[in-house]
Amino acid sequence: MFVTLLKRELMLARRNWVAILIPLFFFIMVVSLFPFAVSPEAEFLQQIAPGVIWVAALLATLLSLDLFYRGDYQDGSLEQLLIMASPTQVAFSKVLAHWLVTGLPLVLVSPLLAGLMHLNYAPDRELLDPNHTPVMMLSLLLGTPTLCLLGAVGMSLSLGASRNGMLVAVMILPLYVPILIFGSAVITASLANSGYNAQLAILGAILLFALVLTPFAIGRALKVAVS
Amino acid sequence: MSSKNSNLEVKGLTISRNEQVLLESIDLSFTSGTITHLFGENGAGKTSLMRALAGLLNQDAGQVFWRGFKTSHPEANFSNDLLFLAHNLAMKHELSIAENLQFYAALRGKAVSLSEIKTVASELRIESLLERHFAELSAGQQHKVSLSRLVLENAKLWILDEPFVNLDSQTRDWLSHKMMDFAAKSGVVIFTSHQAIDGLKIHQKISLTHDEDEVMA
Repeated sequence: MFVTLLKRELMLARRNWVAILIPLFFFIMVVSLFPFAVSPEAEFLQQIAPGVIWVAALLATLLSLDLFYRGDYQDGSLEQLLIMASPTQVAFSKVLAHWLVTGLPLVLVSPLLAGLMHLNYAPDRELLDPNHTPVMMLSLLLGTPTLCLLGAVGMSLSLGASRNGMLVAVMILPLYVPILIFGSAVITASLANSGYNAQLAILGAILLFALVLTPFAIGRALKVAVS
Repeated sequence: MSSKNSNLEVKGLTISRNEQVLLESIDLSFTSGTITHLFGENGAGKTSLMRALAGLLNQDAGQVFWRGFKTSHPEANFSNDLLFLAHNLAMKHELSIAENLQFYAALRGKAVSLSEIKTVASELRIESLLERHFAELSAGQQHKVSLSRLVLENAKLWILDEPFVNLDSQTRDWLSHKMMDFAAKSGVVIFTSHQAIDGLKIHQKISLTHDEDEVMA
């Protein structure tokens, strides 16, 4: 049952590939605006890189949420899914598909942005080649699934309301703050050559916590949305 | 699955929408092998009643039983037995007809072959369109696709909201025959319609009236 649901979400995503690519391009473009707007100096860009990359990833995730919930709600498919499958399964299949086609690509293109933001810049060559890119990818890998899970809660709660795009942003952004803090803290710690395991562990803990609790919440909220 | 008769029983059901009570503590019974026609003016609560039976609308009071179990009970196997066709067709525009139909059958754990779909489609005269995307069909053809779910999925209870609306006479006949066949195989059919359907044998008529919330069976 779960595999059937997941296959359907992925098949729909493949047919809508243009819409799926837009948040990814948004992610790249938002980050690439900063060298133009602030300063092209490597040292400075490196300093703001963790925050910029994380804020952009967060906004890109918000932008992609609509695709996975709006269409099914409007054409009545959501009702049919909830009649035939358990709400939690429907919720989990949607979140997993959402992350696979939007969250994972963000992680995969992030090295490009690391280059753009001079993340690995080192003024004195005495230090060994610093490489912060894998750390950044790891933080995104642990953080983006949580963004998808929390976003899905907001999205499914607001499905019945009109003009829900903005509503979701206002509802969900405050909940994204802890992930933003620890996500960028991981990279900042790595830039300072200090340990970042604690921050990564907290990101992972938040992910596990959300993974256990939010699918139920999303399922119930979807059920309320169709009634 | 269960040897019990597949009956749908409604006990003391009260439903309301937007603070207004539509139906108050009604008892209904839909026995296996029967076709029930729900009628009443617009806004009388036909669709709300159907959605409450399907478990989509929260009821204020009362319970719905299927095979003697509450519909939410796993023993009732209600989600697998129920086929609910609403006004919206619930088909994805990006998928082809065959993909849409196969997905819904797969959700019930039934693999539907392309030849099965072709047989139904040729009865409904849409067999040449099977590979097309759902969005490319006309409204009538889209409606036919959604009706073919009735034949392809092995449900035991059909709840159909206005299934005859906008159908040509051939498809009307096809649908009434399928409904009678299904009832003969001890299925339960509940449908709404504003017109009388020629040639359809109806076992039970339920009228929903707006002002008194009174139900006459």
